[in-house]
Amino acid sequence: MKLSIRSSAFALALTTSTILGYSAASAADLSMWVRASGAGAAQHLVDLWNTGHADKKIAVTVIPDNQMVTKLATGSQAGDVPDLVSFDLIYMPDFMKAGFLTDLTADLKGDANYASVAEAYKNIATYEGKIYGAGFTPDVSILVWNKDLFKKAGLDPEKGPTTLAEIHADATKIRALGGDTYGYYFSGSCPGCNIFVTSPMMVAAGAKILPAKADDTPLDGDGVKAVLTEMQAMWKEGLVPASAQADNGANFVAAFMSGNVGIEGSGGFLISLLKEKAPNLNFGVTILPGIKEGQQSAFVGGDVVAIPKGSKQADVAKEFIHWELTDEAQLEGLAKNNIIPSRPALADNKYFKAEPRVVVTAKALGVGYVPWVFHFNDMVNSDSSPWIQMLQTAIFDGDVDGAITKARESMKSIVAQ
Amino acid sequence: MNSRNASRWIGLIYVLPALIFVCAFVLYPFGQLVYTSLTSQSLLGGGAFVGLANYQRAFNDAAFWTALGFTARYTLFITPILMGLGLLLAFLVLPNRKIQKFARGVIFLPVVIGLGTSSFLWYWLFDEQVGLFNKVLVNLHVIVHPIVWFTSADLALWAVIISVTWKVVGFGMILFVAGMQSISSEVVEASLIDGTSYLQRTTRIFLPLILRTILLVTLISAIGSMLAFEQLYIMTAGGPRGKTLTTVYWIYQNSFINFKLGYGAALSVILTGIILCGTAVQLVLTNRRAHQ
Repeated sequence: MKLSIRSSAFALALTTSTILGYSAASAADLSMWVRASGAGAAQHLVDLWNTGHADKKIAVTVIPDNQMVTKLATGSQAGDVPDLVSFDLIYMPDFMKAGFLTDLTADLKGDANYASVAEAYKNIATYEGKIYGAGFTPDVSILVWNKDLFKKAGLDPEKGPTTLAEIHADATKIRALGGDTYGYYFSGSCPGCNIFVTSPMMVAAGAKILPAKADDTPLDGDGVKAVLTEMQAMWKEGLVPASAQADNGANFVAAFMSGNVGIEGSGGFLISLLKEKAPNLNFGVTILPGIKEGQQSAFVGGDVVAIPKGSKQADVAKEFIHWELTDEAQLEGLAKNNIIPSRPALADNKYFKAEPRVVVTAKALGVGYVPWVFHFNDMVNSDSSPWIQMLQTAIFDGDVDGAITKARESMKSIVAQ
Repeated sequence: MNSRNASRWIGLIYVLPALIFVCAFVLYPFGQLVYTSLTSQSLLGGGAFVGLANYQRAFNDAAFWTALGFTARYTLFITPILMGLGLLLAFLVLPNRKIQKFARGVIFLPVVIGLGTSSFLWYWLFDEQVGLFNKVLVNLHVIVHPIVWFTSADLALWAVIISVTWKVVGFGMILFVAGMQSISSEVVEASLIDGTSYLQRTTRIFLPLILRTILLVTLISAIGSMLAFEQLYIMTAGGPRGKTLTTVYWIYQNSFINFKLGYGAALSVILTGIILCGTAVQLVLTNRRAHQ
């Protein structure tokens, strides 16, 4: 009996302390969901915030990339949301339209720092004149080349390709080195990777990729065909490793990191990653080119930060959003860690002077685009999307015209739904 | 009469917990699924009652029928392999000697690994550049150059079948071994006295007496294959050109990637119907044979 009373008291104490401990932690900390691929950059900012705001700390929960949208949508439907969320900017239109996010117009309109945020981030987070988020952990697509392979192939290692034809010519010379060395690489079964690195070449050449409205023509312009034709030729000539066809993104980084690939489209994140994981890899960075000299573009990616409706600490969350746009957060949280700030004017900073390659990514942010469309997943990101079907049919099967026509029809029917 | 009624009520009380469980966790969610399938509900909210429009759309959805065709092909290929190999292994490890017990443990080991984990493992084992599988085949002179397994739908299908067979064949084997070991030793001994050969014992004693186990393993294997998702999601991502999309993968894509919950629910109801019909046919046929 004595034992039983003692046990019950112990169990009660344990339960009470657990409940109190949990509520104490949840009351003090703001919860923030962060998509995995932006988690590193987000953590730098959150750590900096937590250092100066001991009473308003943020606890980050990392969500796998492919689960973020589903989790946020189901969380919003169930009313179980974090105080802050950082997710792929491309989904902003769908979430703003669904009414899942808090209107920040009154808060951000008067913020001078917000005014200098890259236009791409401001556009993608605005719906029917209202602002629902701000740029958080930016990334942008770039072209990287392996300087050592360029040198071996008799090319100028300091000069990256400036047209798609030049990529093709350089890739041919690099492939001539033989063995496992290939000229060009892209992840042939990864729709997201290709909208990031292949679509900017089309856009640079004047094409429009995705329709914003039902009467817009998708995949419009000669740039689409020109880029697909050139890539198909590189594939046919064996300048791209055969494994690229099946790569669903798993080798998006590893292929170039191996040192056996001459040229590849990638993201700004690669710079710090290569410096850490492959310090001996000698590589250059340039902006993704089009088909003519001077044509350039990039896909503005990365994450935006927003406050889900139902956030329990919306006021502190707003304070955090104001703070992350300040010079302190942008320079000490992002630039210091080789991450481009979401305010392009801050690209000229002491940290980037030591790493000019990051400056290229900051410039790419200035010429980059991000499509403001609904149904992005349907049209692009799903594994059987018209976008990836078009790329695969055109490049691997060789039917460029047929692939474009079919994808155009599929995208039109998706937008019409 | 009264005591008969009372015993009925007592019986009902006994099964009540199970009945509540089934109603709460099977019937109610299934009812919700059927209702959702009649709406245009989106994961992003909203949606209205649309009647049978989603079913009509499924009927005209070429990708759905392609996925269903691929799933059926996958099921038709992998089920006999799992059955045959499971049975063969069961016969080989049936005696209770140390080496057979050890072999049983080794073959069963992959069953305890998650399907997602084993799919990742095999994804890299099949890799063209660093994969061990290609290296072994090249070293054994089965192939000259490493194969890129996931660029062709047929090769991808076989890659997935190999990986899943490795992962689950031990489960069938254990059930078959259990079934064979439950056969009375007197029956086996009597057949030995009668001078039966090994083949005769296998075909006249073991196989007929474990027919119900065979039915169980076939059902588990066939239903599992019709619901295949993780292995394809991880190893092929539905490629190339969506040719290895399974039905569940297509349902997942529609419901959670493209946000169309209503349409995804309709596809799920259709798949449930197909599996129910297939299972019923299988049960009737096997029961008939078991009673013959």
